[in-house]
Amino acid sequence: MTRSTEHAIIVDHLSKRYGDLLAVDDVSFAVNTGEVFAFLGPNGAGKSTTVEIIETIRRPTSGTVTLLGMNIATNKAEVVRRIGVLPQGFSSFDRITVRETLSFYASVFRSLPDINALMDLTDLRAKANAQFKTLSGGLKQRVGIAAALVNDPDIVFLDEPTTGLDPHARRQVWQVLKGLKARGKTIFLTTHSMEEAEALADTVAIISKGRIVAIGSPARLTEKHTEQMRLTLKPGDAAVLDLVRRMGFSPTRTIDDGIAVSVPAADDVRAILAAIREAGLPPPLGLDVRKPNLEEVYLKLTGEQLAQTGQGGVQ
Amino acid sequence: MTPRITAAMLVVRVRSLYREPSALFFTFAFPIILVLVFGTIFTRPEHLNFELPVQDNSGSEASAMLLKALTTDNAFTIIPIPPDADPRLYARENKRNLLLVIPKDFQVLHNERALKLDGTASVPVTYVFDPSSTSLGTKLQLLNTIVAAANQRYSGTAAFITLKPVSILASTYRFIEFFVPGIIAMAIMTSSLSSALNMNAELKQKGILRKLAATPITRTDWLVSSILYQLILSVISTVAILLVSYFVFNVRLNIGTWLPLIVVVEVIAFVGIGMTLTPLAREAESASAVSNAVLFPMMFLSGTFFPVEMMPGFLQTFARFLPLYYVNEALRASMIFADCAGTLWSVAILAAFAAVAFVAGTVLTRWGE
Repeated sequence: MTRSTEHAIIVDHLSKRYGDLLAVDDVSFAVNTGEVFAFLGPNGAGKSTTVEIIETIRRPTSGTVTLLGMNIATNKAEVVRRIGVLPQGFSSFDRITVRETLSFYASVFRSLPDINALMDLTDLRAKANAQFKTLSGGLKQRVGIAAALVNDPDIVFLDEPTTGLDPHARRQVWQVLKGLKARGKTIFLTTHSMEEAEALADTVAIISKGRIVAIGSPARLTEKHTEQMRLTLKPGDAAVLDLVRRMGFSPTRTIDDGIAVSVPAADDVRAILAAIREAGLPPPLGLDVRKPNLEEVYLKLTGEQLAQTGQGGVQ
Repeated sequence: MTPRITAAMLVVRVRSLYREPSALFFTFAFPIILVLVFGTIFTRPEHLNFELPVQDNSGSEASAMLLKALTTDNAFTIIPIPPDADPRLYARENKRNLLLVIPKDFQVLHNERALKLDGTASVPVTYVFDPSSTSLGTKLQLLNTIVAAANQRYSGTAAFITLKPVSILASTYRFIEFFVPGIIAMAIMTSSLSSALNMNAELKQKGILRKLAATPITRTDWLVSSILYQLILSVISTVAILLVSYFVFNVRLNIGTWLPLIVVVEVIAFVGIGMTLTPLAREAESASAVSNAVLFPMMFLSGTFFPVEMMPGFLQTFARFLPLYYVNEALRASMIFADCAGTLWSVAILAAFAAVAFVAGTVLTRWGE
């Protein structure tokens, strides 16, 4: 297999400048054919700009993108026929029904998809004759995904497909994406959600301040960038905090008034609990020991403040 | 350009319109309302009638003759006011902008002049007026004409100079006939420019243009579908205006081959201008402000509501750089004067505007950046 066929997308030294702002700074990476590639990064990190360059919507200041073996700068017409795009916050014509919307995009691509099958795949058949403006956020996203598939694309770009959706709607979208992966589609997923990336992605790239700071499988990134376990004790008694500090650790208060402390080994957890007992302090009512996850990798690499969305994601 | 894509977009636009009843209503109702309002005002100048309060302190046969002259041809309707009322106070309190005061000695002075006892005798009839009123000029003009005719009669000689009207037109046209082509031009301009601008801004704000940018749709497809859509609206509104004008005001104009051509060229010009202005309207909310800033000056400076000749010289020169001026000229030349050469000249200049606007609209439409 040649490099161009094993890689659906090759981004090579890509940069994009807006006046004095360098939005994308010498970014290079490759996406394997048939994988789910998740692109993570805080707002303003250059995620959407990078993706929109790959989608041919924006032009790079420098660098090249090879998509399905074609340079996108010289093959835009062919490239757009072979990709499907769900833009961030997908919207469509308010008064047009779901079926009409999909037929419109099919006409644009000169493709003859089975609209009913597409609606079945995205669980939209019951809403076929509903106007777009009457749909809920989750249904609109699913229309966007279906619209991205009308031309049976080789690569599907999904920009934050579950942002703003309730947990049930998110799971439904995830099922659709898993179905696409099973059909051999390459999926380029831009997301804020660590949970989503861990659940779906084969490869994760983290972008910060316009540069790729880490790339690899979620497991490999977690293994490579974090060594310690995270112990959380509740309630966060001041005497316990002082005791743990005197043991040589660096505990911090959590937002729900607990104590969080990073420890290198399971023996350290046992040592802390024993010290609390020996000091005669009240035993913790809540105890949580977690292995490091992608979210901690993300935090460590981007230094961005987390704001829990209730979806295991960041805003 | 791909006809299939253009047709698909056209279908989406037409469906969106007929499923939005309020948009459908106002698209066609606005020009018809204008025709009805202005038609009602301008088709009945012969019934122009003003109320004129008069304080007749003379109460004589002579003053009665003057009052009769004022009501001739239904020019004024006399409103008598009490002799003891203060005329200025009365005018202010009753919101009257012109009031006439006939002096007590009107009959005496009339007799002196009429019986040639004193050939130089004259009588001051006072008029109290509100200079801030816009209709005052017309009323005074009418009053002066009636007073001049009365003086002519007192002089006892026939008028030396009389005016004889000869129209350059074969038929007699009323103002409404001149006005209707202007309304057609304005309706097409408003719809084409603001709709192109508003729709682009709305789709940009919603992110739909970003989705379209990642499809085989080209900017030319987009512009052509906008033009075809506006053409459909323009044909319907033009037919509606002409039908209402004909059935309500009996307006008869030359509807030849020029009219469809002018409509097509005007739509291309103003959709192109709308697309060109899109980069200035970053959000749907600012699109209305941008379109109004262009539409209103153009509407008033291009001879739609009043002749360009009424404006100061520099504005008349400025008007000749506005595309709507040439639409008005072309429509009036073809629909009223049946002047082929004049129509051709205006259409040629309009076509040049349209070509530039089309190219600029295509080049300046930015979907991704």
